[in-house]
Amino acid sequence: MEKILLPDIKNLHLIDVYVSNGGYNAAKKAFTQTPDDIIDQVKKSGLRGRGGAAFLCGLKWSFMPKTTDKPKYLCINGDESEPGSFKDRQIFEFNPHQMIEGAIITCYAIGAKTAYVYIRGEYHKWIKLLQKAIDDAYANGFVGEKMKETFGTNFFCDIFIHKGAGAYICGEESSLMNSLEGKRGYPRVKPPFPAQNGLWGCPTTINNVETIANVPKIIEKGWEWFSNIGHPKHPGTLLFGVSGHVNKPGVYELPTGTLLTDIIYKYAGGVPNNKKVLCVIPGGTSMPPIRGDKLEGVRMDAESLKEVGSAIGTGGVIVMDEDTDLVKVLARIAHFYHHESCGQCTPCREGTGWLEKILKRIIAGKGSVSDLDLLITVANQIEGNTICALGEAAAWPVKFMVERFRDYFEQRVSKEISLPVANKVHSMRQTAVPLADVKN
Amino acid sequence: MPKIFIDGKEIEFKQGQTIIEAAKDAGIDIPHFCWHPSLSVSGNCRICLVEVEKMPKLVIACSTIAAEGMVVYTQSQKTLAARNAVMEFLLINHPLDCPICDEAGECKLQDYAYEHSIGESRFVEEKVKKEKRVPLGPRVMFDGERCISCSRCIRFCDEIAKDPELTFVQRGDRVTITTYPGEVMDNPYSMNVVDICPVGALTNTDFRFKARVWEMSATKSICNGCARGCNIDIWVRNNEILRLTPRHNESVNSYWMCDHGRLNTFKFVNDSSRIDSPHIRKEGQLVKVGWDEAFAEASSRLKSFSKDEIAVIGSAFATCEDNYLVARFAKSVLGTGHLDFIHHNDPSFEDDILRRSDRTPNSLGAKLVGVRPSKNGLDFNSIIKAISERRIKALYLVEDDTIQNDPEIENILAKLDLLVVHSTNYNKTTDIADIVFPASTYAEKNGTFVNFDGMIQRIKPAVSTLEADRALEGMAMSRLDKFGTRWDRWAQGVKFDARPTWRIISGLSSVMGYKFKYNMAEEVFKDIASGITSFNHLDYDIIGEQGFKIKASVLEKEILE
Ligand SMILES: Cc1cc2nc3c(=O)[nH]c(=O)nc-3n(C[C@H](O)[C@H](O)[C@H](O)COP(=O)(O)O)c2cc1C
Ligand code: SF4
Ligand code: SF4
Ligand code: SF4
Repeated sequence: MEKILLPDIKNLHLIDVYVSNGGYNAAKKAFTQTPDDIIDQVKKSGLRGRGGAAFLCGLKWSFMPKTTDKPKYLCINGDESEPGSFKDRQIFEFNPHQMIEGAIITCYAIGAKTAYVYIRGEYHKWIKLLQKAIDDAYANGFVGEKMKETFGTNFFCDIFIHKGAGAYICGEESSLMNSLEGKRGYPRVKPPFPAQNGLWGCPTTINNVETIANVPKIIEKGWEWFSNIGHPKHPGTLLFGVSGHVNKPGVYELPTGTLLTDIIYKYAGGVPNNKKVLCVIPGGTSMPPIRGDKLEGVRMDAESLKEVGSAIGTGGVIVMDEDTDLVKVLARIAHFYHHESCGQCTPCREGTGWLEKILKRIIAGKGSVSDLDLLITVANQIEGNTICALGEAAAWPVKFMVERFRDYFEQRVSKEISLPVANKVHSMRQTAVPLADVKN
Repeated sequence: MPKIFIDGKEIEFKQGQTIIEAAKDAGIDIPHFCWHPSLSVSGNCRICLVEVEKMPKLVIACSTIAAEGMVVYTQSQKTLAARNAVMEFLLINHPLDCPICDEAGECKLQDYAYEHSIGESRFVEEKVKKEKRVPLGPRVMFDGERCISCSRCIRFCDEIAKDPELTFVQRGDRVTITTYPGEVMDNPYSMNVVDICPVGALTNTDFRFKARVWEMSATKSICNGCARGCNIDIWVRNNEILRLTPRHNESVNSYWMCDHGRLNTFKFVNDSSRIDSPHIRKEGQLVKVGWDEAFAEASSRLKSFSKDEIAVIGSAFATCEDNYLVARFAKSVLGTGHLDFIHHNDPSFEDDILRRSDRTPNSLGAKLVGVRPSKNGLDFNSIIKAISERRIKALYLVEDDTIQNDPEIENILAKLDLLVVHSTNYNKTTDIADIVFPASTYAEKNGTFVNFDGMIQRIKPAVSTLEADRALEGMAMSRLDKFGTRWDRWAQGVKFDARPTWRIISGLSSVMGYKFKYNMAEEVFKDIASGITSFNHLDYDIIGEQGFKIKASVLEKEILE
């Protein structure tokens, strides 16, 4: 199987090796075409974002205004904070020039003169590695003013790394832009979307590292080639980060549509001690978990996962064996979102803490069956009501874990225990529709 | 005009308006905490989530631009469920200390809990603890637990006071408000955050714990701190002013007032230095006398001077009605043209937000109603000069502490044979006056001020004097005014024996043989309206609660005359 992002070429991270393997030829080719041609090819390739939402990449680029007197920007999202996700760093380490080449092609396509690579601050090592690659690219005239000569074009762009300061929320695109601007990492209310009102109020495109790294190959080998790899509606390969109870955890580049069971058993070496799988989270902790007894036939692409009630997310596959304490897992996940909620909007700010507290109480043996329903309604009260998708990210694992493992959870709270009387805030009031009738 | 439908009602909107703005203009109130008509949209509280046809999710009414034909539901099941969810979330970590919270009674969270919440909390966990009683600056106290993180206070400092002082720190449910390192919130408008804070997280250090909101009456009035004339409410309990708050008037002060106006323009009303009943100086001492005796004394002593020896000084602190009678008294009763008022200018007070260098509320009004020297009359400086040269021997001085204003004048005024003063409080000028009439303050009378911009605005009595009864005068009443018995301490309170300047003048004139037939300030205003172009065709109802702006062309002509 052909690998697009992490081919088995030794020392590909070195610029000489990258160039001698045809590197920066895609950029050269791109500069002979118009920006609209590039966008068109990326559209036709079917490339979808690898940052979580699997949004059509070429379509996103086409939202950038053609005529504007403002500068335009490209932000490359390397915040990689989703628990279970550790793929972008592989690109920084093993094939950074392909992302750099992708960045200059993207800048050309959308008319940006500046690209920022936003990398989580904890990635000291990978920040250094990428900076080295960028420096080499500058020195060799592939980035910056010297591009003009190298590629015989009058376009040029710059690439800067921006270090994050350790907040998951800064991976959310609008929060990322605020953080880049030096502001508090608060997501922005959308609309307006980044293509209208992005960095410093200017048109901006934000893409994941892996998304951008795919671009040179699409230009080099053509959109048709790309669109024929993997699932037709979500083509290409994905870097699956497999973790948890598997014998060979790691990052595997595989075509979209690969069977989840193949990933676990064929590539990641199966479950230690041949234990049964209890639960798999297919795309990072924000995505709905799948029961171990429902893995058969599940394919790993955006469309197929949607059909089984989950989502591809960042392709971070977390495998849990039959001895896993799911309540503790869920409490840990809930803790993460409680800890990382930026606190800007009410449902997520207040709801994430509440979810964690209920789960911790259940772990302490003070949970009742009604708490399971409470978890689900609190999650429902967050979902869809927030400024950014961290609301869903926090709500989904709780809602779907409890729903899909109801039997498991009920065993853990089997005894009905008495709790302090709930607070009566005030007396019941009349509303147009009796609230008792309101269903979520 | 384009239209949207809100709960089946067709509503016109202006292009670019958000749903919440369009609804507001149509008299429909969509619940909101963080949205404020004069601040940028932050969209964080989520209580304004509404269902809109053809939209996949609920949208926030504060940031969603209205579009032709949009169908909005503010009472649908989905909308109500989201609203209830937000209320439940806001209350889980709220301390629910309404019984000791200043905001209770005017708290959005409390009001909405009654209107939009299911009434029962399912939260049985421990609440988040935060800092309470944190001074953000000298005049504003912060309670972290009551804060609902709506960011109104932050946006106010950034956008209105133009002095970024506040910020959020921490994340999630640990988020709280603080000042930037090394900053204190001491901008001259800082206390407005107390008003716009939807809950009791920000309190006014001057007012906190003084009263429950419902114990006070609120009277619509005008600040007397400078020529802006910010619209205010005067809050009174037990006949005592406890606080002032700004009242919305888009063409004068929007929703704001300055801290100086809020703190320093009302305390004299209930101060122990108030003058209670008229006084006459006998053997060097001011002695309390009845009104009749004071009028008789003033009348006979004034009559002992020739017209040219008397000067009259009106006041930019007094109303148009007061000044109108002062002017007529000078010209028709005393027959003098030596008539002026004192300007109080302080350029350091002015800014480009609200504050004006003219530190009086009614200098334009005083001028318009005729307090200015007649053709051969002396203006203020010439009057002072004439006093020092003993050409002027009697001075009738209304509501202005001349000496406080300019200490050098004390020696000059000492040369007078007669100094008659109207004053609300004892001061350096009353110290040397021969006859003192106790004047009602701006908070005890009806009348009008004209601000620097030609806006005529009404003041109304909020505090009663001996002559004014709350109920009879139609004054704003608190619940306790209405229902308190005479054994309730708050139903009593001190009443001073003071009268508005126009009424004092009218009383004195009648003793001097000149009858003004006015029973109410409103009747004085009627005469002003018929006699003075700028006021033509106006009455108190037309001026109303939002004022009436004199046309610039009319104003210009009248001032040049
Ligand atoms: C809470 C939250 C965290 C996110 N973190 C990341 C991240 O670490 N990396 C990333 O690429 N996208 C992240 N995203 C998604 C971005 O908002 C954005 O959709 C993505 O970077 C777009 O790139 P793509 O279109 O190439 O996928 C996050 C989204 C949310 C709501
Ligand atoms: S959903 Fe959570 S993370 Fe997103 S803006 Fe609201 S509080 Fe912040
Ligand atoms: S202190 Fe008040 S105004 Fe400021 S964020 Fe908190 S609730 Fe809002
Ligand atoms: S600006 Fe002037 S009128 Fe307004 S509150 Fe301040 S002192 Fe009063």
